[in-house]
Amino acid sequence: MSKATETAMHPVPAAASPLDAPFPTKRMLVNLGPSHPAMHGTVRAVVELDGEAVHSMKLDIGFLHRGFEKSCENVTWTQVFPYTDRLNYVSSIMNNVGYALAVEKLAGLQIPERAQYLRVITSELHRMCDHLTLISAMGLELGAMTVLIYGMEARDLIWDRLTELCGARLTSNYARVGGVSRDVPPGWNEKVLRTLDRAEELRVEIDKLLTRNRIVIDRTRGTGVMSREDAIDYGFTGPCLRASGVSYDVRKASPYLVYDRLDFDIPVGTHGDNFDRYLMRMEEMKQSDRIVRQCLEQMQPGPIAADDSRYVLPPKPEVYGSIEGAMAHFKIIMEGIKVPAGEAYAYVEAANGELGFYAVSDGSGRPYKLGVRAPGWNMLMALPQMMEGRLLADLIPTFDTINMIGGEVEQ
Amino acid sequence: MSQAALQRLKERFPDAVTEAYTGPGGDDVALVKKESIEEVCRFLKSDAETAFDMAPYITAVDYMGSEPRFELVYQMYSTTKNHRLRLRVGVPESDPVVRSVTPLWKGANWYERYCWDLYGIRFEGHPDMRRLYMYEEFVGHPLRKDYSLRGRQPLIPERQVDEPFRGPGPSGS
Amino acid sequence: MAEETKPAAAAPPKPAPPPGPPPPRNPGRVTFTIDGREAVVKPGTNLIEAAASVGVSIPYYCYQKRLSIAANCRMCLVEMSNAPGGKLMPACQMTAAEGVAVRTDSPKVKEQQRATLEFLLVNHPVDCPICDQSGECKLQDYYMQYNATSSRLDVPKVKLQKRVKLGALVVLDQERCILCTRCVRFMSEIRKNPQLGVDNRGSHSVIATAPGLPLDDRYSGNVVDLCPVGALTSTDFRFRGRVWFLSSARSLCTGCARGCNVFLDYMRDGVYRYRPRENDLVNQEWMCDEGRLSYKPFNDGRVLAARIGKSIAPRAQAVAEAARLLRAQAGQGTLALLASPVASLEDLLAAALLARDGLKLSEIYVGGRPDGWQDDFLRRADQNPNRAGLELVAKAFGLAVKPAADLAAAVASGKVKGVWAVGSELPAPSLAAALGKAEVLVVQATNEGDLAAAATVLLPASPAPESDGTFVNFEGRAQRFELAYWPRGESLPHWGLSAEIGRALGLTSRWASARQLFEDLGRRVADLLHGYEWNSLPSVDRRKGLIPLAAGTVDGRLPGQRERMPLDQSGNVQWNRLPSSREETP
Repeated sequence: MSKATETAMHPVPAAASPLDAPFPTKRMLVNLGPSHPAMHGTVRAVVELDGEAVHSMKLDIGFLHRGFEKSCENVTWTQVFPYTDRLNYVSSIMNNVGYALAVEKLAGLQIPERAQYLRVITSELHRMCDHLTLISAMGLELGAMTVLIYGMEARDLIWDRLTELCGARLTSNYARVGGVSRDVPPGWNEKVLRTLDRAEELRVEIDKLLTRNRIVIDRTRGTGVMSREDAIDYGFTGPCLRASGVSYDVRKASPYLVYDRLDFDIPVGTHGDNFDRYLMRMEEMKQSDRIVRQCLEQMQPGPIAADDSRYVLPPKPEVYGSIEGAMAHFKIIMEGIKVPAGEAYAYVEAANGELGFYAVSDGSGRPYKLGVRAPGWNMLMALPQMMEGRLLADLIPTFDTINMIGGEVEQ
Repeated sequence: MSQAALQRLKERFPDAVTEAYTGPGGDDVALVKKESIEEVCRFLKSDAETAFDMAPYITAVDYMGSEPRFELVYQMYSTTKNHRLRLRVGVPESDPVVRSVTPLWKGANWYERYCWDLYGIRFEGHPDMRRLYMYEEFVGHPLRKDYSLRGRQPLIPERQVDEPFRGPGPSGS
Repeated sequence: MAEETKPAAAAPPKPAPPPGPPPPRNPGRVTFTIDGREAVVKPGTNLIEAAASVGVSIPYYCYQKRLSIAANCRMCLVEMSNAPGGKLMPACQMTAAEGVAVRTDSPKVKEQQRATLEFLLVNHPVDCPICDQSGECKLQDYYMQYNATSSRLDVPKVKLQKRVKLGALVVLDQERCILCTRCVRFMSEIRKNPQLGVDNRGSHSVIATAPGLPLDDRYSGNVVDLCPVGALTSTDFRFRGRVWFLSSARSLCTGCARGCNVFLDYMRDGVYRYRPRENDLVNQEWMCDEGRLSYKPFNDGRVLAARIGKSIAPRAQAVAEAARLLRAQAGQGTLALLASPVASLEDLLAAALLARDGLKLSEIYVGGRPDGWQDDFLRRADQNPNRAGLELVAKAFGLAVKPAADLAAAVASGKVKGVWAVGSELPAPSLAAALGKAEVLVVQATNEGDLAAAATVLLPASPAPESDGTFVNFEGRAQRFELAYWPRGESLPHWGLSAEIGRALGLTSRWASARQLFEDLGRRVADLLHGYEWNSLPSVDRRKGLIPLAAGTVDGRLPGQRERMPLDQSGNVQWNRLPSSREETP
């Protein structure tokens, strides 16, 4: 090795004999490239390693930037829904609902009760899917592949129910401004209850496999620690914030839709490490189950969208049969709904945290600006701090539990 | 939603807060002058009654055709008081430089980089003012309204990377 | 008995006359409030115009500012403080009176607007998917703004005829008609040719011509623009394209020397129609039918590739060949320039510069289209848009102007062996054969034709939509037209071709755009153009945002903004005038 690299090496302390001298090492700059099985989404991390310990970490994002905000400025308000689907693509209905709430806030629309219940039911089902995805992935990456299989089965069952309702497993495009797009097919409620039962069985299995598992505890307890002050300072929300000890959940703090009528608990952790975040998610799945069952009981038949021709498409018999319906349909589709000028910020509790939509309208049929406050963003920002001084192997569960979804962080 | 915080802010900074109103849905909004944003944020974070401890969501809007052209929006939340406040800061195109609030909230770091990357608003005092989504050689700021939808970026030569570490193996030392 | 004469008693004092109205607050003007905003207007202004002047928009169908007041649509009813019995009054008919308070946003007015729309829609067919007016239909726009409720009709609608061919250009759909009678009034008042009228009564009223007679007025196309709904449609544009896919360029009709201002509606690189643009000094809001159809040569029969002889060649090669031939001819002194007054001012400036400085010519022969018909309304006999411009350019460059027939004679006599034709329009078909006898015929042509077929070297030129430019009309008025789409195929505007030839001849060409050319050469004609400004229209590369859409309704809504956005003088959006949903905190 040359003189130049010698100085970059650690100073070698004097030793009794050459055989006992510490092994000369140098810091490695390793690229965990954007295309990497353990990097969820396309995130590039350049890690400076000191043996196995991470000395520093720099994140490079933008590989999945698809121009969400710019695209939304050039389509009508209703055409934005498929774009919002693809933000947090693992739990897309919550993105739809958040965006719909922002537009309804600007327009001053009241949505009917059944639509609110449907939004809550589908949001919670997708929350369960998101948490299942995370826990399955975490299990897989820690070596428990069985957990992945069980989690995928549960997730697939829930997706089947959502397919029957929305038409797609992942990119649901379900909410609309003024309500939801379609009503449940017959027999759906009972099927959902049976799906929830099966999902509960699988969840209990996963719990048994992971929660008291020596390896899992060793790898996740005490790793990826985020103190309470730091978590707030970084803007953490959702399960990651609650794991650090702050009991903030949008559904309880500022209830929206019908959450104020439902009875559910918010788990709060103490250590702020990966294991707590995992436990948050396990518990939240249980609570989501509770919420869905209550909603299915409480939901009454009724209209699924507001009765306002300026924002909601009229029913098809009217569209084909009367000129008013034809004109309303026409103008809404071709020009977009005319949301009054102004700006509003609406937020929901997504699986990952507070998902906020900042919508600016200029009175025309297209958003003037649509900004997304992605919950995963703050956690990803804090990742270098969580990883500094830790072992490289801790990166895996940390990255898992912060649940950074590439789509929402990079829009 | 947080009338008390809005009133307190108005009392404390009567000249920095040019306008305060309640928007649709009950959002409390204050229009703040660009020069005082750091002071205002420091007050909002440290004051016991407002206590906006969570890192704000910072974004920008391009109102092309009106003065000031850009508007920075800070969406603040307090975990202790459970209230929200929105600050709107007008940033003119001729002087798109604002003091950074990253020293106050670490979580503002990337939001400000996003505003620089996509809108061209610079933040003084930011520890790492470079583009977030785009590569460094990118020309222009995409979310500006005059950034054309149809166009091409210039091709750039490959970046020179010194000393990439190559591990043991045929190409390494 | 003596005659009694009443003593002349003092006449009882006349009672004091009632006090007159107080003097107007602004002398010579009328001051009143509308929706709380104060408006100061000239006496005699109707309320619709007065409200528009302060930014309040009142909906209307039958009102048109150049036609008489009909007040039959009842859409513009507003509440006025001086109305008898609290009746709602039509804003198109009522003039502003001093001190009146007008309200357009009270519940009574809103219910009236909703009800009027309901009545208008009672017999309206469900035609939006097949109606051309979709996207620029005032029924649709006003329905969304003022009604937006479902239909209460439970009986069948009145059935009328759907495709009445009123004339060569106009088709009537009687079911869609709301009987605003704008078309009837236009024909009788503006055209003084009352070919349209209203037949029958009540729900069965229809617009019709006299039985057996067509609507053959030469300006009949204007009723299509006037019609606020899709009742009158143009046979030329019918079903060709949806208006929200069309973009608009502010251009000029090239059919005759009047230069009616138009919106040129195009999609990608094809022109779909002309719509007249308002210009009080030139064409008010009208254009003739022939002018309306004069966009067709921009699309069809174009020369898009250069030719040397009969074979296609790349433009660079053809330009080089043309330059070589022209240089040779100019060297011998046997070259002549034939300019067409269809070319724009910029085209002619560039050609004249090259002719005088590069090719040492001293005369310019004038080609152009032959004369057509003329009337006292809009149409001029001279079918070339820029003859006055050509004369100005010749004067500025000191070139003598000669008719094309002289050129034919010169070619026949052998004095002229080479002709450089900028534009291939000729006043008589025989001239093409005559000019074809020249040894060298370099033709810059937009469309195929006799002269283009006879060319030694044919260079593809772009017509008006493919460049910015200026036309000077017969009154000497210079008007700007703007670029719609970039030159098609290998064509270039005439000035671009002149620049390329100039470069091949060794001169430096200095212009990358028509704007630069005008800044450079326009000085020579500037004093003859009476204060003409190049920026009288913003050029397309300064347009902000997306390419603007065409769908403008006949009340003059500018293209580019699907929704009415308040714009200031320079075309910027005035954000603070948008209605917003803010409430001030106390």
